[in-house]
Amino acid sequence: MTDTTQSSNQTGPTVDSAAAGVVDTSMASGRFNRFDNPWLNPKLIWGVCILGGILLLGVIGQFIWNTELVFTGSTPLKLPPFGFENLRRQEGLAEFPLGTDGAGRDLLALLIVGTPNTLMIGAVASLIGMSTGIFLGFSAGFIGGRVDDVIRIFSDVMITIPPLLILVVFQSAFGDVSLFMMAVLIAGFMWQSPTRLIRAQVLSMRESGYVKMAQLSGASTMHIMFREMMPNLIPYLFGSFIANVTTAIVTAVGLEVLGLGPQRIPTLGRIIYDAINSGALIQNLWWWWGLPTALLAIMFIALLLVNLGLDEVSNPRLRKM
Amino acid sequence: MIVENTGKVVLTLKDVSIDFPTSGGLVHAVRGLSLAIHEGRRVGFIGESGSGKTTTALAVMQMLAAPGFVSNGEIQLGDTDILKLNEEEMRKTRLRRVSYIPQGAMNSLNPVMRIENQIWDAIIAHEGNVPKAELKRRSDSCLESVGLPARTGRLYPHELSGGMKQRVCIALGVSLNPELIIADEPTSALDVVTQRHVMQTLKEVQSKIGSGLILIGHDMGLMAQSVDELAVLKDGELVEHGTVRQIIENPKHPYTKQLISSVPLVGGDSFLDDSIGAPPVNRSAGSEPLLEFDNVSKTYGDVTALHPMSFSLDGEVPKIISIVGQSGSGKSTMGGMMLGFTPPSTGRVMFEGADINRMNPSASLEFRKNVQAVFQDPYACFNPFYRVDHALKFPFKRFGLSQSENHTEEKMFEACTAVGLDPSQVLRRYPHQLSGGQRQRLIVARALMLSPKLLIADEPVSMVDASLRATILKNIYDLKDQYGISILYITHDLATAYHVSDYVIVLYHGHIAEAGPPKEVIGNPQHPYTQLLIDSIPWPDVNRSWGTSASADEDTRTLAELSRNTQTVFRGAVPGFDLTIPGRLENAA
Repeated sequence: MTDTTQSSNQTGPTVDSAAAGVVDTSMASGRFNRFDNPWLNPKLIWGVCILGGILLLGVIGQFIWNTELVFTGSTPLKLPPFGFENLRRQEGLAEFPLGTDGAGRDLLALLIVGTPNTLMIGAVASLIGMSTGIFLGFSAGFIGGRVDDVIRIFSDVMITIPPLLILVVFQSAFGDVSLFMMAVLIAGFMWQSPTRLIRAQVLSMRESGYVKMAQLSGASTMHIMFREMMPNLIPYLFGSFIANVTTAIVTAVGLEVLGLGPQRIPTLGRIIYDAINSGALIQNLWWWWGLPTALLAIMFIALLLVNLGLDEVSNPRLRKM
Repeated sequence: MIVENTGKVVLTLKDVSIDFPTSGGLVHAVRGLSLAIHEGRRVGFIGESGSGKTTTALAVMQMLAAPGFVSNGEIQLGDTDILKLNEEEMRKTRLRRVSYIPQGAMNSLNPVMRIENQIWDAIIAHEGNVPKAELKRRSDSCLESVGLPARTGRLYPHELSGGMKQRVCIALGVSLNPELIIADEPTSALDVVTQRHVMQTLKEVQSKIGSGLILIGHDMGLMAQSVDELAVLKDGELVEHGTVRQIIENPKHPYTKQLISSVPLVGGDSFLDDSIGAPPVNRSAGSEPLLEFDNVSKTYGDVTALHPMSFSLDGEVPKIISIVGQSGSGKSTMGGMMLGFTPPSTGRVMFEGADINRMNPSASLEFRKNVQAVFQDPYACFNPFYRVDHALKFPFKRFGLSQSENHTEEKMFEACTAVGLDPSQVLRRYPHQLSGGQRQRLIVARALMLSPKLLIADEPVSMVDASLRATILKNIYDLKDQYGISILYITHDLATAYHVSDYVIVLYHGHIAEAGPPKEVIGNPQHPYTQLLIDSIPWPDVNRSWGTSASADEDTRTLAELSRNTQTVFRGAVPGFDLTIPGRLENAA
């Protein structure tokens, strides 16, 4: 009897589970993993491509376009994009293809310099927030006890404080801030939900069989946290990171539109602030506020696509047949 | 395949095939299955996971999971062609004409509704407005038919035990007197005593309303005790069909024979090879016992998981000590304490004379090297991120056993071969690409590679398909004989404990009910609890009486009585293992 089971088992699991594995969901997801690479997911590819395009605009733009044009008065005022007319019947010029703003700054140059800045704030804020979240979440979940209580209560209290309100106060107190300072301030409101979520994940993983196995194997706490648990959180951490980038950008743009961002460095929010402040809406200078807004919208769609794609990577059930 | 035909046919499956289109191609879950089920007959569908038994049942309910569809054949319920019904007609057919008691049905009750409201919902969905008094009368009679008092209806699901919830699900299933009941592993999550009670209830209700019954399961013993006919499925095909007596007494297909022989019997032939290999090496270090419990108990708040007990196991001659009991008896708590995962509330757990909860890091590493475990769930034991060899390689290197990369590689191959796996086939795979049996054997291979002095095997085979259990147990048994590893075998399965162990401890509610050599304790039990456990095991023997639901009710009361007052019965000792209950006079027999 023993012989028959052994030989039938050794004919290979591929045959076994292709014929079987209908009732068992874990087997079903196994089949997925074997046949398609989850990372080659159309949503993920589109999102990454659009984001990459926006970034390229910033990187290549610095070399092929004159970024000196971001300074006040370097171009004629309020010119429309090339091929359009403004209310004063001025034609757009090919030298300034996306038009110019009320203070004589070239809009293309503004976007080339401003877009990477905005993305940078988002990424840095999210990175700091996530790192803090990972550190605190793992500590709370793994060490437990008093440490867990302190971290949990602190993050629960912090999560109830509306970030914009505090940031407005901070920014107005600091006056002119640098991009990095701004990112750090926003990150101060980015770490709570990753902390809570990672803590929950760690708590459930800590009871799982493979963590027990690692303990039995004499693995150190660091090994268990970063070599056994962390890899399984990677898709989730990526997704959370991207979601946080979105939130951070929204917060940053919100502050900038209120005029509370960096004063001397062009960002997308700053352009919109200037546009609103100079009555661009009434004067129908649509390109001034419209182009940065559209760029922001595209950026958010790309981030959303990346997030949805990552969701499907980490959760096979969402994948289509 | 001659089956005597009595009564009219309630379900006809004619050449049914079910396919699942997947990204990997079409999967044929069921192929050309033909079967008829007669009124009042109980038919068992038996097979391993993935053999298509649940899929067939779901097709009858038109409840196949998303991509699956019936690609061929006919399903006739009475005179109705199920496959031609539209969604609304099918909704009316479900429960009224064919009811389905799903796997783990106890979790399918709505936690925020009273039991009787859930029964009323079912009646109203099929019969429209029924006066309240009539509903009440019917739900009460429904509950009484499964042996529950009518006042159960006023309770919420969380106020009931697992067995009671399962009986409520049966009550729901029979509330509209269907022609056919499909019970999908209705007792899979229950212990043997409750399992017997639930199965007897199901049999009784079914014969009372005279419907057909499909019982899906993988346990040949349970089938023998509960059904009339048996259909054996393998890889979506019906390999054998006949009355249960025909199949058990004279199985034709090799797979059926294998299924029957894989059920270990108390007192029957051992499935283990008695030819003992090389004499075990003496591995004890000094005179200290290998493992010692010194007045150990464990309480969680007000609940006592384990009452004080002391034992010492010396490693002079390797032994297998079985700890047997139902869920909640404290056996896994004991395992956790031995591994140092759960600190005891009182007393000390000592390994070779050192308290395992007060060890410095290097002693702790040494302890880990010497005490290893095999856990219940082979699916959870591998980190899905790594290939499976990570689980074998990492501890080997960590404990400093590895001399070189090649040496590790060689040892892994050796260990895999010893448990009957082809190393080149399995080691470079990811855990989800292996079957449960292969994974569990890899864990055994891991233990073998590390060659600990003590192995804690916590329900090592309860989640593995029946045909593989014997093989894995044999692998574990070999660890003792060939490699001199002492083993603590934690299980709810008395039959396997009977065969593999040198000493058995029966736990009940944290008390030791009976302890001694297996031939005494399990072969001739003295304690009422052990007797009850053994009577409740389903055996693949059609002539054996398994009792009625009335006797099961009686047993439940005995159990409740026992939980208040448990006297330990000692049934003799085994050299090298001493067990004492502190604070009590020894009444060793």
